[in-house]
Amino acid sequence: MKFTIPITLVVLTVLLMVAGLVWTGHAGGTVGIAAGSAMYGLTPKADTPEHALANLLADAQRRNWDRAYADVSKTSDVDESSFIQDWIGSNGGLRSFSSLEGFDSRPMHITNDEAQMRVRLHWTTPVGPIEDVRDFHLIKEGDVWKTVWPKVQVPSVPAQVVPVTYLRWDLVTGGAADEWGSKNVDAPHVRIISMNAVDSAEGAVVMGEVVNEDTIPAFVNVNATLVDGAGNAIDQENSFDKIAHILLPKQVTPYRIDFPTISLKSVKNVRMDVKATLVPASADPVIGVMNQKVESDAQGKNVLHGDLLNESGQTVNIPHVVASFYDNNGKVVWVADGYVDRALLPQSSEPFAVEIPRSLAGKVQNFHVVVNQYSLGRS
Amino acid sequence: MQRLLQVCVRVLLGVACLVGFCRAQDFRVPAAVSAGDEADISTAGNGKATFHLIGPGVSRKSELNLGESIHLQAQDTRTAGDYLAIVCSSTCRSGSFYVSVAKPATLTFLVHPSRVPVAQSDAVSGVLLPFDQFHNLILHPLTVNFQLTTGNASLLSRQVPTQNGIAWFRALSGKSAGLLQVTAAVDDLSARRAVQQVASDPCNLRITGQRTKVGISVQTEPVRDCAGNPVPDGTIVTFTATSANGKSSVDAPIKRGIAQAQMLASGATSISAASGVVMGNEVRVGAQP
Amino acid sequence: MMHFSYCLARFRSSFSVAAFALCLGVSLNLHADSAVQVQLNFKKASPRGVEELTERAILRDYRFAWTSIAQALEFNTLDPLEGPFAGDAKRWLKQSVVSQQQAGLNQKYVGQTHHVEAVFYAPEGDVMELHDTAEYQLQISDGGKVIHDEHAVVHYVVLMTPAADRWVIRLLQAVPQF
Repeated sequence: MKFTIPITLVVLTVLLMVAGLVWTGHAGGTVGIAAGSAMYGLTPKADTPEHALANLLADAQRRNWDRAYADVSKTSDVDESSFIQDWIGSNGGLRSFSSLEGFDSRPMHITNDEAQMRVRLHWTTPVGPIEDVRDFHLIKEGDVWKTVWPKVQVPSVPAQVVPVTYLRWDLVTGGAADEWGSKNVDAPHVRIISMNAVDSAEGAVVMGEVVNEDTIPAFVNVNATLVDGAGNAIDQENSFDKIAHILLPKQVTPYRIDFPTISLKSVKNVRMDVKATLVPASADPVIGVMNQKVESDAQGKNVLHGDLLNESGQTVNIPHVVASFYDNNGKVVWVADGYVDRALLPQSSEPFAVEIPRSLAGKVQNFHVVVNQYSLGRS
Repeated sequence: MQRLLQVCVRVLLGVACLVGFCRAQDFRVPAAVSAGDEADISTAGNGKATFHLIGPGVSRKSELNLGESIHLQAQDTRTAGDYLAIVCSSTCRSGSFYVSVAKPATLTFLVHPSRVPVAQSDAVSGVLLPFDQFHNLILHPLTVNFQLTTGNASLLSRQVPTQNGIAWFRALSGKSAGLLQVTAAVDDLSARRAVQQVASDPCNLRITGQRTKVGISVQTEPVRDCAGNPVPDGTIVTFTATSANGKSSVDAPIKRGIAQAQMLASGATSISAASGVVMGNEVRVGAQP
Repeated sequence: MMHFSYCLARFRSSFSVAAFALCLGVSLNLHADSAVQVQLNFKKASPRGVEELTERAILRDYRFAWTSIAQALEFNTLDPLEGPFAGDAKRWLKQSVVSQQQAGLNQKYVGQTHHVEAVFYAPEGDVMELHDTAEYQLQISDGGKVIHDEHAVVHYVVLMTPAADRWVIRLLQAVPQF
């Protein structure tokens, strides 16, 4: 009798542990798509490509690198440290702060000896959830399947000294005791040069471009208020991160403001407001956007892709791309943004891609990309 | 007779009471006080009373003997405005007086903007408000002398009287980039502000490009506005290269008057430049040999 | 069961008291706000014309400022003065409250009516001068006893400047006439 409670507690604990392991990383339940992860210590044998890939991704999700690397084929041209770094990121890139929330995989092509699997990886990042689609090649080795890990391309940057000669602006704020009128530094002069309001699948969208007409850098935010026929405000939103916030003199950035679940049918007017504040800034790093092209990707989506080239001597930890798309009249028809999850090393490049909605792809005649960048430890 | 005597006593008592009442509560406030001046409020009568002074920034209460005068310190009358003096013994009586402003001591000078493109009409404006040493706005007319100078040249010299305590001006900016000194003077008081005159939008933005081993090197000629002022360093010039491989763009800041960038493009390429909303010329660079 | 009923009853009565207090507070606030009548005329404002949104903002913020003055001087509290005022106006209003607290006095502004005219609006919109003919019943109390009660008509010269999200009063100076 006196052992009843302890035994009950032990049994309950074991059951809960098993349940937690069984349901870890479970994502979706669509037939034909393997998802989630298997039970620790009780992973299914990698006797199918689906099981093999699920084992690898589950181990990577749990950061059990030895087991994950053991799921990789020896024919892969990658060592364990490169494999780990490919997963966890480096140089303060966005991947370094992300974790794999879940995954969905589907077979593209399977034979007796090799298979092609497409995986949708769901990442949790500081800038919100990000989806990444990757194709994996698997081969059968004996009676188990193994994943062939692609060679990890790490930019080789030769040691060098890169002088920084670009302009930098510092901000000196006056003291609290300064008399009225003596603090004569105006806020930067910025102007909205275009605005277009459209209805999208997710709701109303207001987008356009804003220019810094001043000779000093500006931290810019664009707000929009939707007004009904009676002059009452329906909703107010701002551009959040769909804008390059720091604008150097004469720099142009697109902006996009989303109003989820609101339709323009009830909107009579859109009131725009741009706020610009003084901010210290640097003209360095200069990031070039190369080889920009609008094409269909492997999933049939219309994407603008290209390469970001870091022409400076400092690492850009988290590059952020904001792209504006124009019709043949030069009107902004869409603004899309995307984060690159790898850091941009000096004098090296990384690919980027942003999606264009299928309904608008036909209208796009031109585009322009600006690069926002966040570097750790710098203002 | 007795009745007449009673009536007389009552009348005398009434008059005495009336006189006593007035004398117990009578006081005189100053006719005119300037800010920061000391003043006296005289009281009449006898007995104890409580004195209250309520004004802008002042609420004071003190006990006094009627017949004494109440001395207002300079700190009691610093702020110009409406003051109320109340003396209470058995009843309360009040009197109000105004404290007027003192002589001008400081000038608040608001000038906009702090940066202005050259050669723009009505680009610079200023507003002057004169205050006394206690920060009271001086509302009677004063003559303000506004002067705008850039280098040795005078852009504006104008005398403007204040109206309702304010004088203002509007002027065009100079033709050359540099510092614009703006001065406002009232008698021997003056206030000075500086406005940075900057180049306007780039004019005749011209670029050249040549193929290198790694791609195309493109740069602008010295970037100036239409008046010939060099556009400040740090201004962004956007280079765009279009070829069969796609499009490349670089936002390059001007450095020592010139912006330059390296573009990756292998085939025949067309390169253009823009700064803000100003477009430059287009150059074509042949394919890599 | 009895304990539950008792708790429920206590909760109900506490909730009722809280709801009543909330309604009272809201109604007092609304009453204080609606007790200040402001009529604003911008026809004479120059050299810059006053934009419609600015007119509404000035009306709203000026009314709120006087409501705050009334609250601060009646209840001898500094909190209402934080938002609507800046510079010298804030300084002397705070001094008024502090010295009232020390003297045991308070002032009541009842039935305020303000006839306000904008006489100057700076070219860059950074300062506006208003002339306010204010009428109100002024009651001054010492330790709860009313020592002064009059219907006052006071002329104020007011300077307002734009702050981060509102217009604030920077100068509030009474004058004999405009």
